[in-house]
Amino acid sequence: MNTLTDRYLTATLRSVPAQRREEIATELRAAIADMVEDRAGAGQDPATAEREVLTELGPPDRLAARYTDRVLHLIGPTYYLIWWNLLRRLLTYIPALVAVVVGVVEAATGSPAGAIGAGISAGIQTTAQIAFWTTLVFAVLERTRAPLDLPAWTPDQLPAVPVERDLRLTDTCASVAMLVLFGGFLVVQHFSSWFTGGDDRNVPLLDPTLWRSWLPVLLAVLLLGAAFEVVKYRVGRWTWPLFGARLALDLAFALPVVWLLHTERLLNPELVRRVDWLGEDGNLTTLGTVAIAGTAGIILWGLVEAGIKTRRATR
Amino acid sequence: MPHGIVPLVVNDDILRTHLQELRRGTAVLASLIALRRPDYGYALLQRLAAHGFPVDANTLYPLLRRLEEQGLLTSEWNTAESRPRKFYRTSADGETLLGRLLDDLAAVQTSVAGLIEGVAE
Repeated sequence: MNTLTDRYLTATLRSVPAQRREEIATELRAAIADMVEDRAGAGQDPATAEREVLTELGPPDRLAARYTDRVLHLIGPTYYLIWWNLLRRLLTYIPALVAVVVGVVEAATGSPAGAIGAGISAGIQTTAQIAFWTTLVFAVLERTRAPLDLPAWTPDQLPAVPVERDLRLTDTCASVAMLVLFGGFLVVQHFSSWFTGGDDRNVPLLDPTLWRSWLPVLLAVLLLGAAFEVVKYRVGRWTWPLFGARLALDLAFALPVVWLLHTERLLNPELVRRVDWLGEDGNLTTLGTVAIAGTAGIILWGLVEAGIKTRRATR
Repeated sequence: MPHGIVPLVVNDDILRTHLQELRRGTAVLASLIALRRPDYGYALLQRLAAHGFPVDANTLYPLLRRLEEQGLLTSEWNTAESRPRKFYRTSADGETLLGRLLDDLAAVQTSVAGLIEGVAE
């Protein structure tokens, strides 16, 4: 015998625990027979009636789930928010971190061309792995109904209302990018300046001996400057301590530069030797004076602007 | 229809969900009352429907099983008829629970009546 009812019962009972299977089967079979009989009694063709009854009972899996109290969702309301918050937190920084690390390692170990691709691919793979395993753990928790003894929510956990910002993110990004580019220039000019000597050898613009003294300091100050921009953005507006920090950073950069320019130690002596114009009488000193004035002007302009903004913001 | 007039008939889907919410749990109540007189699944289904408690078969059978597991119903197989049938009956525990449920239903009704009166005053 392989009627629709038999097939329906087999399909339903497959996922019902064995010790209850027979009893449920007998009851369901009788119930289906009753319903079919009822419809046939009202003049319906028995085959059609059977089909209709089974359609009404619905998918066997769903009926079986009702018998066994099996959940029909992956992650229910008990765990959903915990799962979502955790996943969001993990995905905000881990894939990006992995991507950067892989990219840097790839670039450092000799294939800079593939570094970006390798980083992106590692980031995507990490995202997929984190999402899959986190979800799997919570799906298992849902099915075992394991209690998570998490601390209850309290109003203290409410996040603060975001600070109203005078500072725009784009400005901060632009400032940081400028600092990074400038720092990058200091490094790159050592390896490939626009100036090559007669023998195709690269002649750095800045005195290479400065790498053992002032250049690392200047780079560190630039890095601190980038950090300062981020902190300033987080604070949301200019304050006097921020202005003080800006002043200190500007002086930390400008004073060594001015001093190096003044003592004519900034430019590479080899460059000075090779460029005729620099060797001519007084030109190097003039250039130094102009550069000093320019540096002082830029710094002063920035400080005045920062001072005005600070006064306006703290009034 | 002129603009801005609220339709008199509530959207069918909304009505259905709210009625479903309101009716949730009444199947247990109705079954416990009806099974003071022992009966098998399909006969119970028909009796409930006749008294204004339409319950789907795929809901009722698993529900009867769960109530039996909770000790609120007892069951007995009747093999005297043409096909074996499982007869359920409300147990003593089921009767106690039913009493509490009925009290609560009455309390809800009293509260609703009180609220309606309070609003009308």
